[in-house]
Amino acid sequence: MAKYIAKRILYMIFVAFIMTFVLFFLFNLVPGDPARAEVEAMKELLTPEEYLYRYQQARERLGLDDPLIKRYGKWLKNTLEGDLGQSYAYKQPVTEVIKAPLRNTIFLNVFVVAAVLLITIPLGIKCAIKQNSAFDKTIQVLTVIGYSLPVFIIALIFIFIFAVKLRWFPVSGMRTPNFKGTAFQAFLDTMHHLALPLIILIIGSLAGVTRHVRAAMIDALSMDYIKTARAKGLEEKVVIYSHAWRNALLPVITLIIGWIASVFSGSIITESMFNLHGMGKFYIDALHKQDWNVALAIQMFYIVITLVSYLITDITYGFVDPRVKVDQ
Amino acid sequence: MTVKADNNKNDNNKTQKDKKKKSFLHLLFINLFGGKKKMTVMEEEMLQNEGVEEEIESPGQIIWSSFKSDKVAMTALIIFIIIVIVSVIGPLVNPIDLSFSEVSQQHIPPGRNLMKYPSALEGKVQDISTGPKYSVAASTDGKLYIWGKTKITDTIDLRRVPKDMGNIVKLAAGYDHILALNDEGQLFAWGNGRQRQTDIPDEVIGLTNISDIVAGYQNSIVLTEDGHMYYFGNYMNNDIDLFHPYQGQLQKVVVTSDAVLGLTFDGEVVYLGSQNTAYSRIPEDMGNIVDLAATAATVAAVNEEGQVFVWGNISAKKGEGNIPETDSKIVSLQGGRYHYTAMTEDGQIVSWGDNTYKQSTVPDSVASADIESYYTGFYQNYAVTSQGDILTWGLKGYLLGSDELGRDIFNRLLNGARLSLFIGAISVVISTIIGIIVGGISGYFGGRVDIVLQRIAEMVASLPFLPLAMILSALIGHSMSPRQRIFLIMFILGILSWTGLQRLVRAQILSIREQEYVLAARALGVKEWKIIFRHILPNVFSAIIVSTTLSFASSILTEASLSYLGFGVQAPYPTWGNMLYGANNSVVIQNYWWRWVFASIILSVSVVSINTIGDGLRDAVDPKTQER
Repeated sequence: MAKYIAKRILYMIFVAFIMTFVLFFLFNLVPGDPARAEVEAMKELLTPEEYLYRYQQARERLGLDDPLIKRYGKWLKNTLEGDLGQSYAYKQPVTEVIKAPLRNTIFLNVFVVAAVLLITIPLGIKCAIKQNSAFDKTIQVLTVIGYSLPVFIIALIFIFIFAVKLRWFPVSGMRTPNFKGTAFQAFLDTMHHLALPLIILIIGSLAGVTRHVRAAMIDALSMDYIKTARAKGLEEKVVIYSHAWRNALLPVITLIIGWIASVFSGSIITESMFNLHGMGKFYIDALHKQDWNVALAIQMFYIVITLVSYLITDITYGFVDPRVKVDQ
Repeated sequence: MTVKADNNKNDNNKTQKDKKKKSFLHLLFINLFGGKKKMTVMEEEMLQNEGVEEEIESPGQIIWSSFKSDKVAMTALIIFIIIVIVSVIGPLVNPIDLSFSEVSQQHIPPGRNLMKYPSALEGKVQDISTGPKYSVAASTDGKLYIWGKTKITDTIDLRRVPKDMGNIVKLAAGYDHILALNDEGQLFAWGNGRQRQTDIPDEVIGLTNISDIVAGYQNSIVLTEDGHMYYFGNYMNNDIDLFHPYQGQLQKVVVTSDAVLGLTFDGEVVYLGSQNTAYSRIPEDMGNIVDLAATAATVAAVNEEGQVFVWGNISAKKGEGNIPETDSKIVSLQGGRYHYTAMTEDGQIVSWGDNTYKQSTVPDSVASADIESYYTGFYQNYAVTSQGDILTWGLKGYLLGSDELGRDIFNRLLNGARLSLFIGAISVVISTIIGIIVGGISGYFGGRVDIVLQRIAEMVASLPFLPLAMILSALIGHSMSPRQRIFLIMFILGILSWTGLQRLVRAQILSIREQEYVLAARALGVKEWKIIFRHILPNVFSAIIVSTTLSFASSILTEASLSYLGFGVQAPYPTWGNMLYGANNSVVIQNYWWRWVFASIILSVSVVSINTIGDGLRDAVDPKTQER
């Protein structure tokens, strides 16, 4: 097991390494001369010779004339030391700037993941047990529509109904401007603002996960050992939760972990629609402002999240299903 | 007894099962031609005779017939085919003008009632005046009628007319306000008054000899019988010299979108502003001018000989300067937004200029009728016959409303459909080709090639899709034209989404590779590439089709999401996604609902129907899933 995990981690690092190189290469394709940007302000004050000298100095200091691979090495070294560079737009280190959005996004997504799992697992199991009943069919139709609709259309409809027409929730933002009150009241205020985006994120994920839980459960219920268990006269509850669900767990876990990774990148649209100060909104802003250091850092965040989730999937496989020989 | 019956039943079942095994085609035949209908012996015999022919039925036909019986999937297929046909034919019938934008047509709600005058008006037209999206008319019995879209803002509605106006005899419809004059010489103004264009000055209130009223863009002009003019409203946008030397000489005043010109009693055209503009360069030697008219950007005058002169900012594209030949001389003129309508001495109506909404195409009914008077404004024309009938031509309105630049949403949806489907299709073609090649090579050759390719595929699959597509679009598309970006988006979508199909093709080939017929082919000495393409790929084909259909839907969705966020196809090219760009604020969501509702509906319907077709195909290809 340890050997397998080590192997997967090495592989993960390799992928991340390749990706950073590709991204770094792409970022270098973008026209722009940081050295020139640095000395341009002094152009008026300097003689042409002095200006040229300063410019060359800046180029040297920033290592712009080095071959790409050398610059990449330098950048990688800095990144590994936790220095992600400066944000052009905020004039602050990237690590400082992304703290707040990172916190918000993690809070948002952890909440969504918990809520979705709490809803979809019982729902999927119930659909599987009552397969082809009216209840199941209704849920099936709803989920097909649910996964076909893009999240921004769901969001537009919800904003129209709940924020514009009924005025239950604010249209955007994370808190009331100049809010005064106790910490608890502030929390309630934030939750009031976050309610609509959370509902939309949850609804956006419900359909896919429910369908998978249902399918896994139906597969498990059609197995012979279920018939045996029933024949033994076991209680239906025991049959379902102890025999079937345990076997359905493997495909469900695989899916759910992969899905958790996609939740993070999926919240980009919702965050930008509701103007939430999260990673997704921040990422879009950085791309629009061409604040490449920030964009690169967030992109790496998404890649790392995905890779880690794949790693966790592989490892959990081994724990949940002892039959899977992960060392192979 | 019961045991016997059971036995019988069992036997029956058995024979039925045997039958099933014996002739699957037979069963299929029954299914094809009406399900439970029992066959006569004759038919069965025929079937057996035709057995040889029946066997020719290819897997494709079997899938198709099974798909046909799936009502939901068939409905989805029909809907989708209609969408495709419309998206191909639509842009040919209704081509898009990418550079189009028209301030006066912004945010017009859906509906085609801009020229739908109330029938009560027929036979008693006193005056009609037309604004950008509404028309107002007075009848000879003193009633006022307003039609079209009259809501200017949340609080201003042109239908809210002042009370007790008496018998209105003259009307002037401005950009967003209306002036009205009653038979006692009293002036009324209502509508948008932010530039004080509806605040009638005291010196005008006292007037009793008003001869003409003019309403333009944020301005109002009142002309008296003794040739004096009074101006109120926006002084900044319009070039008007309040102390011009022509007071007391003016018989008519016209306004463009930013200038004021007058016609003196002596038949001379004068510029009433202080700046040197294209309007102030009035052609010389025009002779004695009898009528003057203006569009938003040009001015036209007609002299005693019927000769028409047009000057100002003439646009070749709109063609305000292309005065048509007429049989008899032109005697009067009226200007719309970018077109002119004129009447000749013998009562013929001619129109020229911008023809985007057919506003300068005079219909035959008008040409053959005896026209008494005509009224032109913005994009509409009304002609009143001597019998009192009202004939109209020009812009009826927008079926699905207009957007923030005054573009017709229906037209953009139609053209956007083509682009959205095209991008989805090309990206799927790209990803399918990569998927088949990589999966085919990987599955057929195996070994080291397989390991390397699978690692690469795993790497691509493990990348977060949306953020990566965004960053690629931002980085590579950084300095691209909107047109190049369209191709970039296709390419990005294709490059990032081949891994699923690759895995599928590889798995299929791995299982098929070991089958006897491949072995047989190999034993016969068939070449490797021929085995792949002739013997293996056709068997993977159905699985590829299903996967392609589903990824077509997701490509369309991804393109829409990217464009919606501003990282996909960019304006002026329309796609369903970028039509929603900028729709996510409460003002648009509530007040301009047509900007997002229709695009959302068509996008959702397309994606749902493609997904349903994909599901139906999967069931048809693999009957196992249907049983579940």
